[in-house]
Amino acid sequence: MRKPYLKLCVSGMASCALYILLYVYEREIMTAFTRTDGAYPLLPVIAALVFSFVHGAFAAYFWDVLGITARRERG
Amino acid sequence: MDEAPIQFIDLSGGNVVALLVIGFLGGLISGFIGSGGAFVLTPAMMSMGVPGVVAVASNICHKFPKAFVGAYKRYRFGHVDVKLGMVMAASAAVGVWVGVDIQDRIRQLYGEAGSNLYVSLAFVIVLTIVGGFVLHDVLESRRPGPAHAADRVSRLAKWVQSVEIPGTMMHFEAAGVRVSALFTLPLGFATGMLAATIAVGGFIGVPGMMYVLGAPAIVASATELVIAFFMGLGGAIKYALHGLVDIRLTLILLAGSLFGVQLGAIGTTFVKPYVIKLVMAAIMLIVAVSRALVVPVYLRQLGKVEFSREAATFLTYASLAFLVLALCVGGAIIVGAMVRGYGAAPARL
Repeated sequence: MRKPYLKLCVSGMASCALYILLYVYEREIMTAFTRTDGAYPLLPVIAALVFSFVHGAFAAYFWDVLGITARRERG
Repeated sequence: MDEAPIQFIDLSGGNVVALLVIGFLGGLISGFIGSGGAFVLTPAMMSMGVPGVVAVASNICHKFPKAFVGAYKRYRFGHVDVKLGMVMAASAAVGVWVGVDIQDRIRQLYGEAGSNLYVSLAFVIVLTIVGGFVLHDVLESRRPGPAHAADRVSRLAKWVQSVEIPGTMMHFEAAGVRVSALFTLPLGFATGMLAATIAVGGFIGVPGMMYVLGAPAIVASATELVIAFFMGLGGAIKYALHGLVDIRLTLILLAGSLFGVQLGAIGTTFVKPYVIKLVMAAIMLIVAVSRALVVPVYLRQLGKVEFSREAATFLTYASLAFLVLALCVGGAIIVGAMVRGYGAAPARL
């Protein structure tokens, strides 16, 4: 089976970029994400979803590339 | 807001590495037994100095995307009963809402130490009772003989399945059970309440689906991820409305746990059902000891008991040591079972 090296690299870079943004703008993010007015409470939820899609894809490709896959898929 | 200002901790490099490692191990356990990473994550964050309510809030916000990823993975393996998950989640959502309100009220009445004490006591009581029961079942199921088959249906589940209440009966195909929705309602509610309190509803949800409804361990543990997603989403919104989520903790935990949850899900395709129960029981009981050790520390902070600061520090470190032990034991059993599984049958997909 062909391993998804390219997908691993692209998702890995995207995930890395998101975490760099979090590190660089830590103070601003913490201020905005703990506000309780308006639509601000949605920010943590949206951020968690976005990170999980990008980083989750990276993690899936990572295990695929390492060859760690399920023994069987039940239908 | 009417609450006292929340103290968010300064994140050191050591804290970040620790969060990544415990996130990974917590995710590994969640992917394997359907929930549970959080029973290590919440106390671990509290041990770093994160207030109990922020630890629960940040944990629950990291839990729903992790649960989604884990549920999707295990759905592909055919483990998930989506209908059962949705039905349980509906009543669990109400439980979460009530649980968060109780948590908030306790914090207002008794402050941070009171809130921490409440979370720790909930851990000790629930984990000891349910963990002991699951361990008993594992030991019984390992005894030879047909009556002790690995995934036998409990007497309680047989009775529940035999009760016919017209208009409420539901058939759950993947779980292979037909029960009245009236039995799933309190089970879901209790799961939600516990999730909002200690961020681990699965310690009622998974054993509940196994021993009360009669679902197989592999289906119960996978279906719990569906419930965890909905509960986590509801809980995250509720805590975010109070400004209690520390998004840095949430996202750093996700960085590790998304690797772990997928590995744990893959691991379930390599093991016998009793291994899932064994991991569950072992971790629950060790974490119960860990949280029991810090109960006197919180009582001291509330002025209810008196002992030296050194003794309090010792108890806090001893508690942390038991947490590390729980993580290591859970991780070792899962990885060991996977290695044995790989040896028995080479991977193919």
